[in-house]
Amino acid sequence: MKRSSEALWWALFSAGGVMAALFVPAFVIVTGFLLPAGDAAVAAERTARFAAAVGWWPVKLALLGIIALSLIHAGHRIRHTLMDLGMRKQSGLLKVPCYGGALAGTVWAAMVLWGI
Amino acid sequence: MSGQYHRSHRWAWFFERPGYMRFMLREVTSFFVAGYLVLLLVTLGRLGGGEAAFVEWLASVSGPWWMTAHLVALAAAIWHAVTWFGAVPQAMPIYVGENRLPAPIAAIVMGYGPWLTVTAVIVWWVLR
Amino acid sequence: MADKDTMTLEVFRYHPETDSEPRFQSYEVPYNEDWVVLDAINWVKDHVDGSLTHRWSCRMGVCGSCGMMVNGEPKLTCAAFLKDYYPFPIKVEPLVNFAVERDLVVAMDGFMEKLQDVKPYIIRDDVNDTSDGEYRQSPAELAQYKQYSMCINCMLCYAACPVAGHEDDFLGPAALALGHRYNKDSRDQGQAERLDVMLAGEAIWGCTFVGECTVVCPKHVDPAGAIQQAKAMAAQEYFKGFVMPKGTGVAKGAAK
Repeated sequence: MKRSSEALWWALFSAGGVMAALFVPAFVIVTGFLLPAGDAAVAAERTARFAAAVGWWPVKLALLGIIALSLIHAGHRIRHTLMDLGMRKQSGLLKVPCYGGALAGTVWAAMVLWGI
Repeated sequence: MSGQYHRSHRWAWFFERPGYMRFMLREVTSFFVAGYLVLLLVTLGRLGGGEAAFVEWLASVSGPWWMTAHLVALAAAIWHAVTWFGAVPQAMPIYVGENRLPAPIAAIVMGYGPWLTVTAVIVWWVLR
Repeated sequence: MADKDTMTLEVFRYHPETDSEPRFQSYEVPYNEDWVVLDAINWVKDHVDGSLTHRWSCRMGVCGSCGMMVNGEPKLTCAAFLKDYYPFPIKVEPLVNFAVERDLVVAMDGFMEKLQDVKPYIIRDDVNDTSDGEYRQSPAELAQYKQYSMCINCMLCYAACPVAGHEDDFLGPAALALGHRYNKDSRDQGQAERLDVMLAGEAIWGCTFVGECTVVCPKHVDPAGAIQQAKAMAAQEYFKGFVMPKGTGVAKGAAK
C-alpha cells in the first residue's frame, strides 16, 4: 500500500509542538515584555546579556532547531485546520505555502542567527 | 443503494459542539505562533544590525499596538502549551505494571513541570 | 398532574419508497421516570406507528445497535433517560455522518469495511500447536490494550467526528482504536500489516485530534488517545521502512 509522507510531517509537527509549548511562551515574555520594558539603564543591561547569550553558538543552534520545528508545527496545523474547514481537495496544494513557508522561515532564521 | 438519504456536509460544523469550538481555539493558536515566530526573526535580525538598531526596535515594540500583539501571542502560546501538555497523557500512556499513571500526574511530570521550569529559568536569566 | 404524564418525541422519518426528503414526526409518548428514549421509540412502534424503523437489541449498553442522535448528541438510546430531558421535547435522528437507510436506521457498510481494513484479529507468523498450550499473557500485557477492546461498534464516535464526516478515506475512531488494540496485544505479530494500512493516505492522518470521539464513547474506550498512540507507532514504522527494506525484520508480516 502506498505510504503517505504525512508520517514525516506528523513526526515533525509533534516535535515542533513540544518545542513551541516548551519555549515560545517564555520567548514572548522575553522579547515582548522584559526587553522593551524598564528604564534605559536596565534595558541596556538586559539587552547586553540577551545579545551575549544569543551570540553564543550552542544557543544559536538550539534557537535554529526550536524555530524550525515550531514553524513546521504551525504550518502543519494551519494546513490541517484549513483542510478541516473544507479545503480537503487542496490538501496537496496547501503543502506549498504551509511547509514551504516553514522552510523559508528556517532559511531566514539561519541567516539571521548567522548575522548575530 | 439509490434510496439512501445523504445529509449535506455542514460547513460550519465547528459551532455545533463546545468541544469543536475548543478544538478550533486550539488549532488557531498555530496562526499566532507562526506570526510570533516571524516577529522573533525580525527582532533577532535587528540584533544582528547592531545594538543601536536593536534598542530602536525595542523602543518601537513597547508601543501599545505591539504590546497588544505580544499579549495575544502570549495568550495563544500559553493556550497551545496548556492543551498540548494536557493531551500528553492520552497520547503517551505510561504504565507501572498493570496500572496506568494517572493523567494529572503524567501531565505534570511530562509536560507542565518541565514547561514551567524552562520558562522560569529563561525569565530568571533575563531578569537577574 | 395529567399534563405531566406525556412527553413529545420528534422523530426523523424517511422512507425511501415514498420520501425524497426526510421529515420530522411528533409523537406524544407516556412519561415514565425509568424509561429511556429507546423505550419511548419502542412504545411508538408498538402502539402508534408500526412503520417506524429503528435498530435495537439488548437494551443494556452492550450490543451497540441503538445509537442515535438525541437532541443533536450521539447517544445509546437505551442509556438516555427521559427524565433527563423532561418536560422538553426530545428530537431523535439517525446518527450523523452516515447515509440514512430508513427512518432511524443508518447504512453501516462503509464502517464494516473500515473495521475489516484494520484486520481486527490476532495475526501470527508461527501458529503453535494446541498441544503446546495457550499463548500466555501477563496482567501487565493485558492492561496495555484492555481499554481499547471494550468497543461495542455503536458508531457514536463516527457521529461525533468531524473528520469522519468529511473524509471518506479516514478509517475513523472505532476502527483505528480496534487496530491499535491488536497492535498492542503481546500475542499478536501483525503490527506491520496494520500499520501499513494506517500509513496510506488519510487513513489515520486525517485525524486532527478533535477528541470528541472519546467524549461520546459509552464504553470509555478513548479512541482519540489510541489514535495518537497509533500515529506514533505508524510514524516509527514509516522511518523503519527507509532503514530496512520490505520483507525483512518487522516488515515481514506485510510480505505474507
